[in-house]
Amino acid sequence: MMTTSREYQRTHIVMPASIPGGVDGVISGLVGRYRRNPVAVGGLKREAEMIDRRGHALGSLSGGALHHRLQELKIRFRREGRDKRPLVQDALATLSEAAYRTLGMRPYPVQLMGALALNRGWLAEMATGEGKTLTVTLPAVLAGWTGRPCHVITANDYLAARDVAEMRPLFDYCGLSTGCVTGEMMPEERKASYDCGVVYTTSKEILADFLRDRLKMAPFHHASRRLIRGLHRPGAQTPDGVVMRGIDTAFVDEADSVLIDEAVTPLIISVARENPLLKEVILTAHEMAESLERFRHYQVDEKRRDIFLTEAGHDVLERSAHRLKGMWQGKSRQVELLKQTLCARELYHRDQHYVVQEGTIIIVDAFTGRLMPHRTWSHGLHQAVEMKEGVAMTDPAETLARLSFQQFFRFFRHLAGMTGTGQEAASEFWHIYTLPYVSIPTHRPCIRTLARDAVFLNRDQKWAAVVAEIVRAHRMDRPVLVGTRSVEESEVLAERLTSEGLVFKVLNAVRHADEAQIVAGAGEKGSITIATNMAGRGTDIKLGSGVVELGGLHVIATERHETGRVDRQLFGRCARQGNPGSAQAFISLDDELIRNKAPGWASTWLSTALVAKVPGACAMVKKVCLSAQRAAERQAYRQRKNVLKNDAWMAEALSFTGSESF
Amino acid sequence: MNRAGRTFSDSWYRIADLKVSLRPTVAVRKHYFRGALWYILHDPFNNQFFRLRPASWAFVSRLRPDRPVSEVWQRCLERHPDETPGQEDVIHLLTQLFSSSLLFFETPADTEKVFGRYEKRRTQEMRSRLMSVLFMRIPLWDPEQTLQKISGLIRLLVGPVGGMVWAVTVLAALKVFVDGFDRAMDQAQGVLAPDNLIFLYLALLVIKGLHEFGHAFACKRFGGEIHTMGIMLLILTPMPYIDTTSSWSFRSRRHRAFVGAAGILAEIFMAALATLVWAHTGAGGLHSLAYNIMFLASFSTLVFNANPLLRFDGYYIFSDLLDIPNLHTQARAHLKYLAQRYLFGIREASTPAEDAHEAFWLTGFGVASALYRVIVFVGILFFVADMYLPLGALMVCAGLITWGVMPLVRMVGYLAVSPDLVKNRCRAVSITLLAGGLLLILLLVYPFPSRFTAPGVLAAESTRHVFNDTAGYVDQLLVPSSTWVATGTPLIRLRNRELTFEIREAMAQYEETLALYKKAALESAGELDSILKRLTAHEMHLDNLRRKESHLIVRAHQRGLWVSPQGHEMVGVWLARGRQVGDLVDPERFQFSAVVPQKMAAHLFEGRILGAVVRLYGQAQIDLGVDDYQIIPFEQKRLPSAALGWRSGGGVATSMADRTGLETVEPFFHIYAHLKPDVSVAFFQGRSGKICFVLPDQPLVGQAIRYMRQLIQKRYQL
Repeated sequence: MMTTSREYQRTHIVMPASIPGGVDGVISGLVGRYRRNPVAVGGLKREAEMIDRRGHALGSLSGGALHHRLQELKIRFRREGRDKRPLVQDALATLSEAAYRTLGMRPYPVQLMGALALNRGWLAEMATGEGKTLTVTLPAVLAGWTGRPCHVITANDYLAARDVAEMRPLFDYCGLSTGCVTGEMMPEERKASYDCGVVYTTSKEILADFLRDRLKMAPFHHASRRLIRGLHRPGAQTPDGVVMRGIDTAFVDEADSVLIDEAVTPLIISVARENPLLKEVILTAHEMAESLERFRHYQVDEKRRDIFLTEAGHDVLERSAHRLKGMWQGKSRQVELLKQTLCARELYHRDQHYVVQEGTIIIVDAFTGRLMPHRTWSHGLHQAVEMKEGVAMTDPAETLARLSFQQFFRFFRHLAGMTGTGQEAASEFWHIYTLPYVSIPTHRPCIRTLARDAVFLNRDQKWAAVVAEIVRAHRMDRPVLVGTRSVEESEVLAERLTSEGLVFKVLNAVRHADEAQIVAGAGEKGSITIATNMAGRGTDIKLGSGVVELGGLHVIATERHETGRVDRQLFGRCARQGNPGSAQAFISLDDELIRNKAPGWASTWLSTALVAKVPGACAMVKKVCLSAQRAAERQAYRQRKNVLKNDAWMAEALSFTGSESF
Repeated sequence: MNRAGRTFSDSWYRIADLKVSLRPTVAVRKHYFRGALWYILHDPFNNQFFRLRPASWAFVSRLRPDRPVSEVWQRCLERHPDETPGQEDVIHLLTQLFSSSLLFFETPADTEKVFGRYEKRRTQEMRSRLMSVLFMRIPLWDPEQTLQKISGLIRLLVGPVGGMVWAVTVLAALKVFVDGFDRAMDQAQGVLAPDNLIFLYLALLVIKGLHEFGHAFACKRFGGEIHTMGIMLLILTPMPYIDTTSSWSFRSRRHRAFVGAAGILAEIFMAALATLVWAHTGAGGLHSLAYNIMFLASFSTLVFNANPLLRFDGYYIFSDLLDIPNLHTQARAHLKYLAQRYLFGIREASTPAEDAHEAFWLTGFGVASALYRVIVFVGILFFVADMYLPLGALMVCAGLITWGVMPLVRMVGYLAVSPDLVKNRCRAVSITLLAGGLLLILLLVYPFPSRFTAPGVLAAESTRHVFNDTAGYVDQLLVPSSTWVATGTPLIRLRNRELTFEIREAMAQYEETLALYKKAALESAGELDSILKRLTAHEMHLDNLRRKESHLIVRAHQRGLWVSPQGHEMVGVWLARGRQVGDLVDPERFQFSAVVPQKMAAHLFEGRILGAVVRLYGQAQIDLGVDDYQIIPFEQKRLPSAALGWRSGGGVATSMADRTGLETVEPFFHIYAHLKPDVSVAFFQGRSGKICFVLPDQPLVGQAIRYMRQLIQKRYQL
């Protein structure tokens, strides 16, 4: 039975306020700074310890009594919500005992701290390997009890399925149904899962379903409108095929990746539609571009990923365009079309930005290094790349709906997140999602040894040193995890290792099938694993027997990344949960970070200093890297904010196309 | 549209299936701006305007409420592939049309956003109203009906008959004015005298009322509608205003320009009538009012209304004549473009100028109006600060925020994050810093000449007054005034018949006594002695009278310049003895007697004066050197010459109660400067001029602060 309030809940979203600017922005920034003060952590800690004690005290309770208590709590949460402190404390204490009885794990005080923070809508930074899975379960139960839709967003399908399976006993015990939504599911399965009290899924799935539901409801995404229609056409309240119950509460795991790094790429629901006009134009542009040469006809600005036509280029364009018809008549349009084709040629590289599989182009996510089938570039860029690779040109996708993750997660009434690395982006979390950042201490002290960065003049030297380091660690039988930036680089390293006669596993976009399993096996004695950027994130690398004695997992970063968070994430793969581990970064002066984000004089200066073996040169390189990272982060943040601003502007400008349409 | 947006847009799907069209009430007109064809959309229901290029119009005109946008676009593309706007342009276009409320659409719009925007617009209007306290408008009445009723009269007035009357009146007034030019100028000295201010304001009300009705009538005559009339608080002074924006939609730009000019024409007509009244009345209230109207309606009109640099009528006329609508905005956009393109090197920057000609006008207008606005604002500021300090301070703050802080913040924001500058940020920032630095150095560090001036008159250092020793009627002036005379030169001849008679009498008495003496010498020697005494006495008396007589010719008792200002008026006049008949002036040594008001006195006593020069009115180009000067170190209240005071057209405020015009309102310091002789300048007694004291060079900001301090101290004794 669908009640009216449920019907409203189904499509209700919180229209986020625009991001304050000017003086308001400064004030809001100060508020954010105040909210993330460390005093709050002290309060959390005391509260968590108190809950822990009460949880232990419940150990004497009989099974029936505990169950009864949980039933009672569920009703109270339904009625009173989850904001009342004593109620929450009571519930968490009970849940901690229930977790112990059902899962055999009792949450540590730090996990309770995390649960409290999540319940309050904060962004909790918890070091990798601190048991975030159990932590998020507790507030998810509380949210599930309120009867409103509760979603737990995990990094990938595997984790969603695994976490649900692991935590189901506790949810069942608390009287909550659980579901998980993964990529391959059919709409009926999805509906069944979404109907559960607590739903585990990934950001892509939930956003895609959200948009598809909206499309199906079309103008009836207003509950009042649906109900009115239901009055004069009974039974037609909700259109067929709508799968979700609505959005209300979300707990986002790996929040920095979901809410920040991947947040601006919009999710697009599209259908392929024939467009002969576009195909013809792309073909002509491709032919025209054949005759153009770099430097003579055009310049490539790799830093800004842009292309300029030179005078000669413009001449060629003019000469060939005046014979053409249609879109080629407008001056700026000509340039635009030609630039696109040149872009496809010069700025989009095979195996870095895309791979070719079975005659189709598949985009590689720049951040995760994962393949993204069904994703296409827009405006004919995809077709231009297909043209370049000589594969059959597909029909351009016509967008039906699009929404950025950033915008989407702002629609939630309650949003909270967890991440291993959030500090660098604390102000962004606050400004965009009004999530105050809080850092939860580790349960056991971390004993990771972080070696000094090894600095080299060029890539060749660097790769040689990386291989030598791998061999050295491998001789000691220590497991080694090597992080690379792109698919291409992981292949380069793979070749070198093969020639050394080493056995290893590669985890990148092309070979992603059993990503999580590979990562999970990376802790075995003597194993060598090469992984792109963030592949297998969120998966615990369990150390094989005897590895601890050898010094644990050794992590090698072959490059510093554009944000310090990614580096920390990679280093966080070792030395988890009090285990030992070591990590080292290898840097060369022609790394992309230094090349693109540091000022030009810096790298020249540094290379001279390195060659001359000036003391402190290595430390300088590290400094330059840090400042380059900071600059890159600032730039990226600004870019994301601009995307949001543009989205908001667009929404307002296009408000005549109907409300809340995306 | 200058810059074509991209052919394909990410957001196209949002409007692809929409069915929209122009609202049925929208009227469309062709219009040529500077020879380029535009389509003007106008919705009389909400008085919104929008203009489109033909390519955009070709698309917009095909929009139907029963056809999706994408279909229309496809068709346009097939038919005019070269001109059809790209998808991004289309989105932009529809968005703009929607925000101008010219769009009709069936889908329920996002009412919340629509209301949000309405609210935003209202607060914006409110804010702009607050920001422009100086030009606040309060609408009061809708005159449309009344104007409808008198449309016959309007036709008559704004037509050949009205034109004839206007021309005849103005010509007649011009003749009268030229004839009475001197008289008119004389009175001009008193226009701003305080007792005229009430008249001045009343006259202003009448004039501005007629001015506004001039606009209204002209607008009505060419078919516009006038719906708002009210009061505008122009610098806190209530003035009538009438809203004639409907004239903007006139197709003929001459009509538009005429509506703009009608106010000025009406004022000139008023000025003409007032001139006639003024010429044919004697002194009195009416005369004074007519004079004020004459002055205001011509002067203020030419300086303010007809001035294209201020945003009054002149601006709109100018804009219409140049055929560049939104001249001001476009000029600003163009200046921004110039800075971006040539200073910051942004190649993608675009200008609103359609051709080189327009670019020229936009540049010129932009620079001139910006400078002029600053000057006018500063002027108004001083005016208001003078009247009422708190308001002045408020205005300084408002001015600093709107013209100082806000542009600065915007500039910093622009430099820091604007996507325009992605490629040139470094260059832009360094150029801006450089320019800012130069400006600061210029203002704060670089010393500029600093000086202050004081009014004064010439006076010879040694002047001898010439008196007549003997009373008498002036018979003849023997030497004209301003002649160089040697010692002993006869200057004036007096006539005194009584003296002649007296001499004769004395002669007779003398002769009688002489005869007695001779007789006694023969007859009675005993009396001889006493008679001799008498004779001597008579002789002395005679001599005395003779000497007196000789003094009837007034002579120069030293060499010098004979100056006798009222000389010719004295002929035939009785001069008692000892009256001053003129001066003998030593032309080699002149001194300049200057009056330094209190607020400047600090300069005098700080001892930082480097030197001084004197410039005389009429020969201001010649700097007269000063040997040295002397400050009389106590305050005085009587001017050395009435020529320096208000009463005689000078700059020093004199007391109204004092008839001589010498008594000043505020005390001053007296300075005597000894001038070096200069052959090229005619020195004469009483010639007025200014003395200019040169202070050490000082940065402009320092000078300004000093000036402000003096002003505040003087006005408010703070």
